[in-house]
Amino acid sequence: MSRNSNQGPVGFIVNPASGKDIRRLVAKASVFDNQEKRAIVRRAITGVSAIGVNEFYYVPDTNEIAQSAISELAGRVSAHAVACPGTSSALDSKIGAIGLKAAGCKVIVTLGGDGTNRAVVSGWRHAPLIPISTGTNNAFPVMVEATVAGAAAGLVASGLVPLETVSEQAKLVLIEIENEADDLALIDAVLTNDRFIGARALLDSDRLQLAMLTRASAASVGVAAIGGFIQQVSTVDDHGLCLRFSSQGRKLRVPIAPGLYQVVGVESVKTMALGESVTVCGPGVLALDGERERVLKPGQKATMKVVRDGPWVIDVARTLHQGAAIGAFELSDTGDINAV
Amino acid sequence: MKELTNEILNNLYVCMVRIRLFEENAGKLQENGKIPGALHMYVGEEAIAAGVMAHLSDQDQITSTHRGHGHLLAKGGEMDKMYAELFGKVTGYNKGKGGSMHISNLEVGMLGANGIVGAGLPIAVGAAFSNKFRKTDRVAIAFFGDGASNEGAFHEAANLAAVLKLPVVFVCENNGYGEFTPQAQHQAITDVADRAAGYGMPGVVVDGMEVIAVYEAAGEAIDRARKGEGPTLLECKTYRFYDHSGVRGMGFNYRTEAEVERWKKRDPLDLFKQHLLDQELMTEADAAALADSIRQEVEAAIEFAENSPDPDLSTLLEDVYTN
Amino acid sequence: MADANTQDKREIPYVMAINEGVHQIMQELDDTFLLGEDVAGVGGVFGTYRGVLDKFGPERAIDTPISEKGIVGLAVGAAATGLRPMVDIMFMDFLGVCMDEITNQMAKMRYMFGGAATLPITVMTMGGAGMSMAAQHSQSLEAWLIHLPGLKVVMPSTPYDAKGLLIAAVKDDNPVIVIFNKLSLGIKGEVPEESYEVPLGKARIAREGTDLTIVALGRMVYEALNAAEQLAELGINTEIVDPRTLQPFDTDTVIQSVKKTHKAMVVHEAVRFGGMGGEIAAQIQELAFDYLDAPVARIGAPFSPVPFNPGLEQAYMPNAEKIVAQAKELLDR
Repeated sequence: MSRNSNQGPVGFIVNPASGKDIRRLVAKASVFDNQEKRAIVRRAITGVSAIGVNEFYYVPDTNEIAQSAISELAGRVSAHAVACPGTSSALDSKIGAIGLKAAGCKVIVTLGGDGTNRAVVSGWRHAPLIPISTGTNNAFPVMVEATVAGAAAGLVASGLVPLETVSEQAKLVLIEIENEADDLALIDAVLTNDRFIGARALLDSDRLQLAMLTRASAASVGVAAIGGFIQQVSTVDDHGLCLRFSSQGRKLRVPIAPGLYQVVGVESVKTMALGESVTVCGPGVLALDGERERVLKPGQKATMKVVRDGPWVIDVARTLHQGAAIGAFELSDTGDINAV
Repeated sequence: MKELTNEILNNLYVCMVRIRLFEENAGKLQENGKIPGALHMYVGEEAIAAGVMAHLSDQDQITSTHRGHGHLLAKGGEMDKMYAELFGKVTGYNKGKGGSMHISNLEVGMLGANGIVGAGLPIAVGAAFSNKFRKTDRVAIAFFGDGASNEGAFHEAANLAAVLKLPVVFVCENNGYGEFTPQAQHQAITDVADRAAGYGMPGVVVDGMEVIAVYEAAGEAIDRARKGEGPTLLECKTYRFYDHSGVRGMGFNYRTEAEVERWKKRDPLDLFKQHLLDQELMTEADAAALADSIRQEVEAAIEFAENSPDPDLSTLLEDVYTN
Repeated sequence: MADANTQDKREIPYVMAINEGVHQIMQELDDTFLLGEDVAGVGGVFGTYRGVLDKFGPERAIDTPISEKGIVGLAVGAAATGLRPMVDIMFMDFLGVCMDEITNQMAKMRYMFGGAATLPITVMTMGGAGMSMAAQHSQSLEAWLIHLPGLKVVMPSTPYDAKGLLIAAVKDDNPVIVIFNKLSLGIKGEVPEESYEVPLGKARIAREGTDLTIVALGRMVYEALNAAEQLAELGINTEIVDPRTLQPFDTDTVIQSVKKTHKAMVVHEAVRFGGMGGEIAAQIQELAFDYLDAPVARIGAPFSPVPFNPGLEQAYMPNAEKIVAQAKELLDR
């Protein structure tokens, strides 16, 4: 089997803060301690190396999860840190993603929730992603064994499996905020009548005003589930959904967070063509992918639209199946597959 | 979640400004030699005391740390009796026998600052035991630092509270240093909240510089405790703007100026003030007027303390025993 | 026991006296609770708390994790908020685990708070050697405790005192450490059935005499009584003072006795160096120097950990023979 000239390194971004917020209390969300995240990175790297890719870039997170996982493999892989501001905020993931792009990474493996991937995409809009779920409201990343996810990353990074054959470009909600920087969401952008970001998590269905969704599934948790109970929108559908909420509206019992059902009143549902925009006005707070992120001052406007201009999300199963079909795991006489 | 009324927002802001101005002035008084002994200031960590205490009444109890002035102020302590205690005067909360490191007021449920790192946690567990024993819905809060989370008392208290399902919330004020040793050198974890899992209780991390974040998370943990659902470990990431002790500290070179400045950009008072201004819930003039009135409170309290008598030497042996 | 006249003469073992005291004081004061390792489910490893769980229920009889700091710390918090905790520290040696809670919290919270805190805590613990429990389950560490202002310390020798001092300790509004003795658990003595208090701070004359005063702590009272019988055969009439409470110490009773006998000896099971005997001897020479015919003698354990081997352990512990030998030396002068 010949090496593809397309071979390149694999990037890692770990969100140390995922899986620890107030939803552990309000909802019944899973706890992800840092030891488990470290083990996930370690297993994913093992998977990548099994394909013969041994070059890595990583974002040095403030809890040193990626660093410590990689240091355990010292000498067996070639790993490099990219610049990271160390703010212990989403900015680290964003700047880190820019660094991974500049380093020529062919695939990024992320550990986190929807919020983590949103931050990564805000740094590298079209990143080739394998998002492993270690967060809370996880419509975007997937629950997948890290060893397998790593092997998929290796298959794509090695060039053995072409990215375009196993990935699809995600939709986004693009948000223009008057007099301030733009923003985006991967799954949902929600206007609430909060006034503060506070503990960030979106937890109170009474506060919902309007939501723009890139996808809606009854089999998910969060605002995407609300849409899904009314009208399914898949990742391949070329449209989004706009929900307006009101206590007078149609009542639904929805899992607003893991382990937390609340009653939501939906006033209207509208299919949104790609590029079709809706404008909202402050005061209020914009929750993006489940986290209260942006405060709208009184009178401040924000315009939101769904577009298909996001990251390339790799289908792990499809990648592995394709890898197996081309014999990526066969040991040839020349032994050109090196496993760590 | 409890509605964040304008009254609550105002109280949170007032509480934080009172702590800030109390501490800044206490620091000056110690520099001038008017306050004897050690003085550990709470500046930079105000959002935590304010955000937690907003959910408590005088009947709820707290235990504090060596950095305890902010906790007492937020719990309802009066500045005059507090300054008097820092001065060692007989009019102080502890009649001049405790000082900064032991300041307390049982009438508002403040079971004492504590000179022993970690010692407050089992005591809070005991207060929580009382609350459950009496079938009340009162809660007890133990404030402690990242350094204290390495003490045996932390582990024994956490386990005891969890197994007895007591109404207590362990609030970790993680300021990144155990005295002068950075967290990375005193524990192999970064989130103290990760330790909660080992005791079978929820652990939550929250931004300790954002008072509303603390308020929301503390509110959930306290509600849980009141409902009899057991303890929570709430970790608030924060920073102390002054040294471990005193304004100038002991001159050890253990953290960089750049690090201090970076954290000061996230001053909890500035952040909250800006939120209130953005939301048009306060004006600059309101903030200035409030600061003026609190400055007057501080000045009057210091004057009271300065003019108060020292304890009579005959009181030396009083209060060792009840009789 | 049906006869009213024999009731006052009832004799029960030390362990039963403790048990009865615990039951009666918990019955009388409903703000009390019993807390410690294996105090509820099995009634205490020595049997001192048998039946407490059945009678008072799991809210007032609580088995804890093996966490001495947590136990004593909990008691401090519960007492500061109005309860009257009764906590068990199974072996006195384990005080080392919770010495911060004893020393820096319980003993001084009231003083540090300017009198605002009241801590009616009773810590019950078991001291003493003689059961081959070796160096970590046999010590007599009362000297640690009497040195701490804010604490009261009692050391009952008889079943009567075990019950009466315990009840008085629980009723006292100060923290009191009650040091029971494990080798005494089976010793029988007269114990009234009703609840009663032995006042704290009051010594008792365990034997009246004229020639020599022996101040004996805890179980050493029995060794001293035994020695006194042997000395009586030699014509020496020994008076024995059982302080019962070590802190506050009843100096007056000791001094009155010494003024009568002109000779004094202190006996305790704790290591002699730095033990309570030094304090008592010093007080005697300060207050009754002119009455003394000889230096105050002290008997205690040698400066060594408690050994495991039964022979070594017997050699280690003070006993009647050692007291007799020392007394002879004292009187020969």
